[in-house]
Amino acid sequence: MRTRPLALLIALAVIVGLSALWWRDRAAPEAAASTDFIAALSGDDVEGFARATEPGAIQFPRDLGPHPDYQTEWWYYTGNLATAAGREFGFQLTFFRTALTASAERRARSAESASPTNPLALSQTTEPTDQLTSWTTNQVYFAHFTISDIAGEAFYPAEQFARGAAGLAGAAAVPYEVWVNDWRAEETADGRVRLQAATDEVALDLTLTQTLPPVLHGDRGLSQKGAAVGNASYYYSLVQQRAEGTVTVGDQAFAVTGQAWKDHEYSTSALEEGAIGWDWFSLQFDDGTALMLFEIRRADGSLEPWSSGSFIAADGAVTPLALGDWRLTVEETWRSPASDATYPRAWALRVPRLDLAIAGEALLANQELIVSTTYWEGAAAFDGTRAGLPVSARGYVEMTGYAP
Amino acid sequence: MATAPTRTLPLFRTGWRRLRRRPLQYVLFVLGVALGVAMMVSIDLASGSARRAFQLSTDTIAGKTTHRLLGGATGVSQAFYVQLRRELGYERAAPIVEGIVTAPAVGEQALRLVGVDPFAEPPFRDYLNADDGALSLAPFLTEPNAVILSAEMAERVGLAPGDDLALIFAGERIPARVVGLIQTEDEITRRGLDNLLFTDIGHAQAIFRQPGTLSYIDLIADDEADLAPIRAILPAGVRLETAEARGNAVQQMANAFELNLTAMSLLALVVGMFLIYNTVTFSVVQRRSLFGVLRALGVTARQLGLLILAEAAFLGAIGASLGVGLGVVLGQGMVRLVTQTINDLYFVVNVQQVTVPAATLIRGLVIGIGAAVVASLPPALEAARTAPASGLRRSTLESKARRLLPWLIVAWLGLSAFGALLLWLPGVSLLITFTGLFAVLIAFALLTPPITLWLMERLAPVGGRFLGPLGRLAPRDISRSLSRTSVAIAALMTAVSVIIGVSIMIGSFRGTVETWLAATLRADLYISPPAASATRVEGTIRDDIVAEVAAWPGVTEAVTARNVSVLAPAFGREVDLLAVSGDIARDNRPYLWAEDDGRRLWSRLLAGEGVIISEPLLNREGLDLPPAPITLMTPDGPRAFPVLAVFYDYASDQGTIWMGSERYRALWNDEAISTIAAFVTPDTDVDETARAMQAAFAGRQELSVSSNRGLRNASLDLFDRTFAVTAALQLLATVVAFIGVLSALLSLQLERERELGVLRATGMTLSQLWRLTLLETGLMGALAGLLAMPTGYVLAWILIYVINVRSFGWTLQMRLEPGTFAQAFLVALAAALLAGIYPSLRLGRTVIATAIRQE
Repeated sequence: MRTRPLALLIALAVIVGLSALWWRDRAAPEAAASTDFIAALSGDDVEGFARATEPGAIQFPRDLGPHPDYQTEWWYYTGNLATAAGREFGFQLTFFRTALTASAERRARSAESASPTNPLALSQTTEPTDQLTSWTTNQVYFAHFTISDIAGEAFYPAEQFARGAAGLAGAAAVPYEVWVNDWRAEETADGRVRLQAATDEVALDLTLTQTLPPVLHGDRGLSQKGAAVGNASYYYSLVQQRAEGTVTVGDQAFAVTGQAWKDHEYSTSALEEGAIGWDWFSLQFDDGTALMLFEIRRADGSLEPWSSGSFIAADGAVTPLALGDWRLTVEETWRSPASDATYPRAWALRVPRLDLAIAGEALLANQELIVSTTYWEGAAAFDGTRAGLPVSARGYVEMTGYAP
Repeated sequence: MATAPTRTLPLFRTGWRRLRRRPLQYVLFVLGVALGVAMMVSIDLASGSARRAFQLSTDTIAGKTTHRLLGGATGVSQAFYVQLRRELGYERAAPIVEGIVTAPAVGEQALRLVGVDPFAEPPFRDYLNADDGALSLAPFLTEPNAVILSAEMAERVGLAPGDDLALIFAGERIPARVVGLIQTEDEITRRGLDNLLFTDIGHAQAIFRQPGTLSYIDLIADDEADLAPIRAILPAGVRLETAEARGNAVQQMANAFELNLTAMSLLALVVGMFLIYNTVTFSVVQRRSLFGVLRALGVTARQLGLLILAEAAFLGAIGASLGVGLGVVLGQGMVRLVTQTINDLYFVVNVQQVTVPAATLIRGLVIGIGAAVVASLPPALEAARTAPASGLRRSTLESKARRLLPWLIVAWLGLSAFGALLLWLPGVSLLITFTGLFAVLIAFALLTPPITLWLMERLAPVGGRFLGPLGRLAPRDISRSLSRTSVAIAALMTAVSVIIGVSIMIGSFRGTVETWLAATLRADLYISPPAASATRVEGTIRDDIVAEVAAWPGVTEAVTARNVSVLAPAFGREVDLLAVSGDIARDNRPYLWAEDDGRRLWSRLLAGEGVIISEPLLNREGLDLPPAPITLMTPDGPRAFPVLAVFYDYASDQGTIWMGSERYRALWNDEAISTIAAFVTPDTDVDETARAMQAAFAGRQELSVSSNRGLRNASLDLFDRTFAVTAALQLLATVVAFIGVLSALLSLQLERERELGVLRATGMTLSQLWRLTLLETGLMGALAGLLAMPTGYVLAWILIYVINVRSFGWTLQMRLEPGTFAQAFLVALAAALLAGIYPSLRLGRTVIATAIRQE
């Protein structure tokens, strides 16, 4: 079971009105973000939204697309790339969707029957009638795009917002497509997806090739996050995807290859009270296996018992992990001069159940995004042993709730 | 120059002493300057405030926009915007859908409702991006017709977040809700936000019924390189303009109107200058003996001249200061009149505040003082030249004045020719044209002294025969004091001629419009969405209503029209295009030029063979006759249309192009209807049908349904409203003239105190004195009134055939009404007689001995 807490943070923040940010000054980290986030956590305006309650509800290819009845949704691409000469890059390209309001139709329906919403109804969209021309919508999309130039010791974060209407942003299942303005992920052939994004400084053009079937997290894709029914998400990943394409930094274009990781998750939910942030890891090992785990930190210094993870074998078999299955320690920290936040930058991880012992660090200390919210998400490298054999991994780490 | 033998200061004391002894004269001097300056300042403030309010609101809406993408008749397709975003990834682009609405809760005034996409806004409009949490994205996007407005405006009109308000667009009532207030510290932005409402672009598209289209796209570009990719994919019919070009183009529409107002206010100042000249001349003449003594005592000519100019400058400064103050007060009222007209004819602007720029005040002061000094220059020179001995004799001055007479005639000829040349010069700026007008006016004034002398010399024997000695005495007095009397007559003549000229112009204009309305408005019923402004149609009529009107019992024909603006590349601006399905004038329309007779012309127009254009377009763009084909930007790119005819049109000074509606629909792919004109059978009760239609459409769309008579009256009301400013200016000019004449004649009579005292001493009775005085002033008034007639006529001719055509492109039929002349004559006579009363009273009370003691 795995939650992308950051995504939740941002999405909920948008709903609550943190993104009354028509915009925020990118240079100044927003103190209101964390407080609003706490407000978002205790927010309970889920009336009229669909809830994640049924194991095994996910169907492909239908659920590659959007689920506007759910409050929040994200398509999350991260990956580690290198040129033939070994110059390393990391990238993140994430598309978020949030519903500002539940549709009137659903509100009415949920008022009629207090029964939990049928998740099978989720493919019915509540978009206003003429989606091609109308601007009116309750669906807001935004996207984060970063390039980490490891050798150049530079990090390039960017953010875009658009409404899910008039063709400016949206998503579709068949053919698979998700986009915010000119940043997009689109299916080009069966099992192949092309990612494209560019800013004034950097650009990414990658083709991802699927190598394993989708990994369903939690109970057949239902990822329970709290004790209450419906405090859960539908969640699957595509791991160990082969990536090939171009990274452009300034005027220089680099032909790169590597591995990419995709998450897709949708939910209508609130986290438990007392959570202040998360540390999340996605590692892709050189032996074809992969590991995802996250820890939710609470205000009292303890970790949320619902923190969890998944180990994916080279053949795609999934082993769910609970908090007690691992031990993660922070070995070094880094203080951001921009936000004044102190983030972990080196870790040691032991998972006795998998006979795994690894240590690693961020490939760049500064991979902090100061956009509509402030967090750290960046490329990392780990080395160690599994079952006595040496393994090494590249991956992404996400850390939230550190910025004041 | 040698050291002045006398210090200047004591000299000024003599000036001050005089001022205290003859305050009335100087009060009138000051008043003359004050009124002239006040008019100029008030007009300046009014047009300046309107201009500034428009600029502020344009700037505020534009934000940091550097360029703008505009479409033709129906705006820019939003698909192009999506292309900019998705294919070019052009981030600094923001779509806008805007229009004019009214909100009964806010009042009568038109409001600009601006539909924005908050996600595109960040680089553009700071005030929308303020991070104070007041603007919540969710309600703005999802509440139906959520609007936000500035906190100041909300407070002024009594609205708060959560309040409902109804918006009216094209007769449809749109329920809306205030969901937030815009707070801004910036004073300029705060004022610019006045009368602006913002809503989500999705709501705006629904309200203005333009799905899939944008009004325009705002861009921020640092240089041409930024724009190159956009230019490369620019669809036909979409153009790229700089942001300021757009605002300027709109403002330029009112340029001619504003310049005309300024010229009118300058006319008042010219009249005022006569008055100043007059007053100063008198003060010099009256002190000639003093000056002679002073010169004999060693005062230099230069010191004397300086004294006169200093006096004038001092009084001018007082007058100008008062005038500026008065102008600011008058400006408050004037701004309402001026903005009303700008709203009626040109563009929507609301002025909540009259801005008083220092430049206007300084200009008022400088022009006021300058006019006083310039007008005092001749008498000052005269005083300076006074030889110590001759200064004691007044006759010197008069003989000099007479020697000047032939030169005045030469000057009249020269100035008239110069003025005529300026007026004749084609294609020059309006400013030069107005200079020509002033030259002609002043030329006529210069002609006044020779005519006065000639006439008075001939009148003296005639007067003597009919009225006895007094009848002879009066004209002789006038011709004897020619240097003073003729100036007073010229001043009065100028003022009255302005009254005549402007009256004839307005009367001719109104008459022409009336005739034109009668000829062209032949349909019985006119249906249109009620608009926030009088002459522009905003919005369209619902399709179902269009069909219902056509099928209405008794309606024989329904002529539809679609009103849009399209770019005419050759003119570098947008022109009004009217797509019509028939002629509401039923072949009665007068044409300036037509290729065919009315019936064939219209069948060719409706068949799409070409367009017909209005006379103002022809004049404004300086087109030849017959005009070459006109190129218009269609959605598929530029296309040339042959011109079939030029029609007279007084509805717009910007020019209008008519096209057959089928052709328009085919090219622009726009089926909407803006207005309908319906013909009914002879036995149909028009007023009853109008009421029935209105009732039948109520609830769906509040439409204005007018009868032929109703529309005609409304048009004439609008006309009168437009000329309210002119009429107000005319009234003010009359007041200035009146005061000028009063002061001139008053001075003249007071100056003759001693002379009349002698007459009284030699046996003139009190009633004879009264008669003599009134006869003299009456004669002068009558002469001024008479001379004002041809001058006024020439003025009217210039206003009608030169100024109007060049400013607005309208050809007017001149109409002379005897009443106008009679009225003006009476004003002159009344002013003159009135001016005779006070001196008569005063002289009647004077002890004869005192009056003649001076010697």
